[in-house]
Amino acid sequence: MAVAGGGTKAGLLFKGPRAASRESYERSPWRLLVQIRLQTARILRGWSRDVATTIEALIVPIALLFTLDIVLGKAISQVSGESALYGSVPMVAMVGAMSGATVGGIGLMRERTDGLLSRLWVLPVHRASVMFSRIAADAARIFLTTVAILCVGLLLGFRFRQGIMEALIWLCVPVVFGLAFCALINAIALYAAKALVVEATGLLYALLMFFSTGWVPLAQYPSWIQPAVQHQPLTYAVEAMRGLALGGPVLAPMAGLLLWVAAIVAVCAVPLTNGYRRASMRG
Amino acid sequence: MRIPTAVRPAPAPWQQWWVLSGRVIRPTLRNGELLTPPAASVLFTIGFYIPLKQLMGNFLDGMSNYAQYLLPLIVLQAIAFAAVSASFRSATDAVLGINHRFGSMPIAPLTPLTARLSASVFRCSSALLFAILCGHVIGFRFYNGAEVTTAFWLLALMIGVLLSLLGDLVGSATRNPEATSHLLMLPMLVFGLLSVGVQPVEQFPGWIQPFVRNQPISQFIYALRALAGDSTPAAGAVNWSVIGPALGWLVGTIAIVLPLYAYQSSRRR
Repeated sequence: MAVAGGGTKAGLLFKGPRAASRESYERSPWRLLVQIRLQTARILRGWSRDVATTIEALIVPIALLFTLDIVLGKAISQVSGESALYGSVPMVAMVGAMSGATVGGIGLMRERTDGLLSRLWVLPVHRASVMFSRIAADAARIFLTTVAILCVGLLLGFRFRQGIMEALIWLCVPVVFGLAFCALINAIALYAAKALVVEATGLLYALLMFFSTGWVPLAQYPSWIQPAVQHQPLTYAVEAMRGLALGGPVLAPMAGLLLWVAAIVAVCAVPLTNGYRRASMRG
Repeated sequence: MRIPTAVRPAPAPWQQWWVLSGRVIRPTLRNGELLTPPAASVLFTIGFYIPLKQLMGNFLDGMSNYAQYLLPLIVLQAIAFAAVSASFRSATDAVLGINHRFGSMPIAPLTPLTARLSASVFRCSSALLFAILCGHVIGFRFYNGAEVTTAFWLLALMIGVLLSLLGDLVGSATRNPEATSHLLMLPMLVFGLLSVGVQPVEQFPGWIQPFVRNQPISQFIYALRALAGDSTPAAGAVNWSVIGPALGWLVGTIAIVLPLYAYQSSRRR
């Protein structure tokens, strides 16, 4: 009896005009915002309760910054005439953003394997909310990491020589590039094997780090490799952030960085959405 | 009336080890994972040598060239990178419950660990080989005889075993494949940079010099540098006061990690 009653109730709920409103419910832009907020909070809560993620996003970049300051700081300041921190603080912020992206990418893979993605696919939620909430969560994580690294940098002697406005833009640069990197990692994560993704992204960001002007000044590289160092995204980000904090050209490196971001997003957008749809409809 | 009894199977440990090692190694032949240790060797070689050659070239402790000075650090970083994947595998095994499954089967407790370690050593060997090849390209040479050179390879491989064992323990403790590998990668870089691998201990600020000199990575580097030798005598003589501390760290750490591992696996069951 109870079962039949339940059946009738469900029938009443999803019949006639209700069906149409359910459709618009799934597509409502306002609902999209609410759902993004909800799912972003879910991802962030998961990360904050995982010790390993917290250590990786906060403690390890800070340790790296201290180390770089101790090991290379003196030698670089001697050859370049300015504190090495103006290059290494931005670089470590970017490394934190990139190493965190891998956590997100593999979290996505795990949710695919666990069936959460296909579950969300059949629930009355906006289809775009899952993707957007990932982006929002990544942005929040990168911003927090950048603030933490900045605090350590301030302790070591990093200062903003320009204005408040420049400082605020400085804080947003890692978020912009970090999100593009996350798009890249997520696109790879939806197609490749797990262990390979972890290692390949590790190698990728180590390569970007070793050959950027945040590691050592440009003049330290042999002249044949300087063009590659000069035009890679991490160098653009470091130089833009150096300009914003210390003074110097900002527009040119910023334009280069935004071009890289646009290119990465353009390349990844279609594989990302296709791969995501495929992962959600699996099984 | 006869009571039916089952005969307890008598599995061959060697065969089990072989099968379980194959289980770990075989997928890496197909999914491209086999390529990452050589790639890491190349990356660490160019990543340290090209940017730092000019900057650090003046502080060589009297050694003939920077490649000879830097190679032990490159070898250690490459091996550590290969060994870190052990943590990824053991964390995956722990999460998926295969360890519980093994625990319920007639398998010796250490056999799955040994199999995972063999796979790691396999990866470490390829990392080591490629690191030496890359070093040869930038100008590194072995200056001592065949026995001492063999000792260099053996010591490097033993360090690989130790790091794999550590990675395996961390992986099965955190049970989080996502974060664990990167969790170990950046610290390796931090320890590598805070060692005598990049620059002599005198170049560090005074307060951190005791740590830099005595931490295990530095001791491994002193030992590997002496075993590799140099055209000048600055690499250090091969004697117990140079090699001893490195061996001490190796044996001591393994002696601590193995009981921890036993505790870890017995607690889970």
